[in-house]
Amino acid sequence: MSDGFESARLAVDYALKVGADYAEGRVQRNTGSTYTLKNGSAEPVTVGRRLGVGVRVLVGGALGFASTNSFDKDEIRTTVESAVRTAKASRRLVASPTLLSKEKSCEDEWEARMKVDVRDVGPEEKFELLFTIEKSLAEENVHVRLPSRILIFDEDLTEKFYVNSEGTQLHGFVPRLSLVYILTAVEAGVGSAQRIRHEAQSSGWEVVEEWNPKEIAADDAKMMGRMMRGGKAPPKGEMDFVLGSEVTGIICHESCGHPQEADRILGREAAQAGESYVKPNMIGHRIGSEHVTVIDDPTLPNSYGFYLYDDEGVRARPRTLIEEGAISDFLHNRETAAELKVASNGASRASSYDREPIIRMGNTYMMPGDYSLDELLEGIGNGVYMKSFMEWNIDDRRYNQRYVGLEAYMIENGEITTPVRNPILEITTPGLYGSVDAVGKELAFSGATCGKGDPMQGAPVWTGGPPIRLRQIRLG
Amino acid sequence: MIPHEAMEQILNTAKKLGVRSAAAGITRLRERMVRFSNNSITVTNSWRTEAPTVYLISNKRRAACMIEDENPDELKSTIEQLAKTMKVTPEGDVDFELPPGPFKYQLIPGIYDKKVADADAELIDAVESGIDAAKKEGAMRVSGVVITRDWERHVLTSAGADGSDRGTEVEMTIRAFADDEASGQGISLSTTWAEFNPEEAGATAGRIAKMALNPIPGEAGKYSVVFAPSIFANLLNRVGDSASAHSVDIGLSFLGDSLGKKVASENFTLRDGSQTAGAPGSIALDDEGYPTQNVTLISGGVLQNYLHNSYTAAKYKARLTGSARFDAGIAGMIPDARSLILDPGEGSVEDLFDKAHDGLYVTNNWYTRFQNYRTGDFSTICRDGVFRIRNGRVAEPVKGLRISDNMIRILQSSKAMSRDRSWVKWWEVQTPTLTPSVLVESVGITTPEK
Repeated sequence: MSDGFESARLAVDYALKVGADYAEGRVQRNTGSTYTLKNGSAEPVTVGRRLGVGVRVLVGGALGFASTNSFDKDEIRTTVESAVRTAKASRRLVASPTLLSKEKSCEDEWEARMKVDVRDVGPEEKFELLFTIEKSLAEENVHVRLPSRILIFDEDLTEKFYVNSEGTQLHGFVPRLSLVYILTAVEAGVGSAQRIRHEAQSSGWEVVEEWNPKEIAADDAKMMGRMMRGGKAPPKGEMDFVLGSEVTGIICHESCGHPQEADRILGREAAQAGESYVKPNMIGHRIGSEHVTVIDDPTLPNSYGFYLYDDEGVRARPRTLIEEGAISDFLHNRETAAELKVASNGASRASSYDREPIIRMGNTYMMPGDYSLDELLEGIGNGVYMKSFMEWNIDDRRYNQRYVGLEAYMIENGEITTPVRNPILEITTPGLYGSVDAVGKELAFSGATCGKGDPMQGAPVWTGGPPIRLRQIRLG
Repeated sequence: MIPHEAMEQILNTAKKLGVRSAAAGITRLRERMVRFSNNSITVTNSWRTEAPTVYLISNKRRAACMIEDENPDELKSTIEQLAKTMKVTPEGDVDFELPPGPFKYQLIPGIYDKKVADADAELIDAVESGIDAAKKEGAMRVSGVVITRDWERHVLTSAGADGSDRGTEVEMTIRAFADDEASGQGISLSTTWAEFNPEEAGATAGRIAKMALNPIPGEAGKYSVVFAPSIFANLLNRVGDSASAHSVDIGLSFLGDSLGKKVASENFTLRDGSQTAGAPGSIALDDEGYPTQNVTLISGGVLQNYLHNSYTAAKYKARLTGSARFDAGIAGMIPDARSLILDPGEGSVEDLFDKAHDGLYVTNNWYTRFQNYRTGDFSTICRDGVFRIRNGRVAEPVKGLRISDNMIRILQSSKAMSRDRSWVKWWEVQTPTLTPSVLVESVGITTPEK
């Protein structure tokens, strides 16, 4: 499609003609391919080509959305009529009119650039990447049996043409590459362990070397073997914890990013993903120690959750969600911003043409501090270092959370010692953030596909953070 | 373009490119959705898509694509690209063919209703009825969603399978809040408008919310738990996933290496009812053109069958079960449950409370996650009304509980089922499931430590 603006503009103009007070049209193309090795054998190469028009309208304060994958002009008009008609019909049950915050209109072209265009890389090279990893997982190399090894390389190229009735016109392009592996390790007389890892960026093929394919999965496999052979039962009682970057990242995503999505706070997700322990009047409320600052920033270069304009045409920017332990901002779209009388901070995203834009995170991470890992461990007489996790679980108000460690060790007199098998951290959100007394300086990110919305939308995001230290925690 | 013509073109293109075997599918889908929260409609959605899918097999190599781009050149060029890719793709592990047709298909009665297909303003009325019914039972705030689906599927394969089917579905989830910590959920799911009951869904949600007022923090421990249909359906969806031979194949099934073994209690019989009259999820033919069938997964606690497609059936030398579903992700075609049905028991849910004597009644859950898919160790959050059972009766509401247990242990400790069953499908239960309430002994319940 050489000019998606034409169809998006047709949708917007027609929507205004048939009664909408506001309209936006989005032509979105998602082009993706997936390459998989299963235990050394190629699985089907799969290709998805999704292209269509989504139109969102406000009619007398009621919101409607409709989409089609046909670019026939009559079909687009029928789609617009559907959005306007259903919005109109719903007005009698709209308690107070939906408003949108006033935002600047703009015109822009933006993209995440590829140094090496992934479309120019042939399937042989993509399978070669997976075979390099597969070779590294040989039992003689990793010293553990891996009866199941699923290795996935995925590429997704997203192009959006966005137009709204306030004069905004944007064209954006983001390529995203992912490496996912699922390893099952078995140790006779002990049992099994599983590891799922997701490395991802918005970039071109050049990222592949950064993933370090010869070692990344092999290191995890060796670790799983060590954990199963040498891991002791987790200790009991109250002690100090150090959490690795990966664990910090998932914590920030689940217990800061999600509960501070303003649509959850206002109850819009109640029947699906739930509400939030955070209330609209909690800006400034202390939720953790002064060491805790959590940011969500979609503009991080090459990040998996990268974008420069959201899907309502609002410029993206970093959002400080928790500042030195106090809730300082929510993630907003134009609707929630209007309701809470603030400006949108550009958190509205749609995963495909057939999804309404809703509030999503971009890249959520804890701000690094000053401590090296050794300095975090120092002064811990008896504790646990949970470096990575397998299971995670949180309630639908984002208050009661649980993480089960995969790679974990005892900390004894400031040193990492014996492996510990599957320690469980089950804690409340204020309990967790309130226990942080030191934050590491090494920041790292993991890729993730965040699920939200009805129908479901998978949003590419990064979760991240440095290692952090928690005091006086009782293991579950 | 007429679906059959489009599919013939797909197969002809594949054949000219030297692909040995191909399955083409076209699904036309029209959906409408109304979402509401805090007693007010938040958005209406409507979608129309027509998406061809293509599955190619040639000399131990496979490829698949889904094209939601109406430009026929895009479809042709994608098939060309895939055929070229297959020539340089490393070999897979199994040489197999699509099932040889033609086949006779049993069209499923009672799964298409024009009233559902045409419902428009009626959805707004349904939302209003559901909200009013919930408020009548004591709810202050009501949220939810109502969705209608009108689908039409066509499958044509190079092996001679050629068939179509169509159906409708109407699904409503209502979540009612009596206050911020007291909520309940109700569901109505059917293929026909006559069986759709938003008032009942709303009343159920409101009733549970009212009962759940003023919950006290629950305590960790092992409990006899009566699972209401909403939560047990979520667990059964995980069983359905694990019963897929694909999950077994990739090491993500807790039912691996278990055919013929006792994986559940002796009163536990679960089937994939893909061929069940009036059942949501039922279809006449799978995405490889093979006729669907009702497949007994677990009978009297013993694992009887995995669900297969032509690849897994060839690999594991098993019979086809008509379970192939197109997958645009990693496998191209995955065997999948369409409609899970658990056999009922004999008594009422009150009889289960009585049997439990001292335990918990959990009406719903959310966020089920695994520590190890192979062993089945998992946890899930108790959501909405959760109640203590004392002396065989429902007592005070409790909060803050998590189920932390193992799937096989749960199945093997399922001691009794109610006679009455409900259809469940909602955001956390994607495969329609007909299930009774179930009493499970010694369920692990945990709470946060700080």
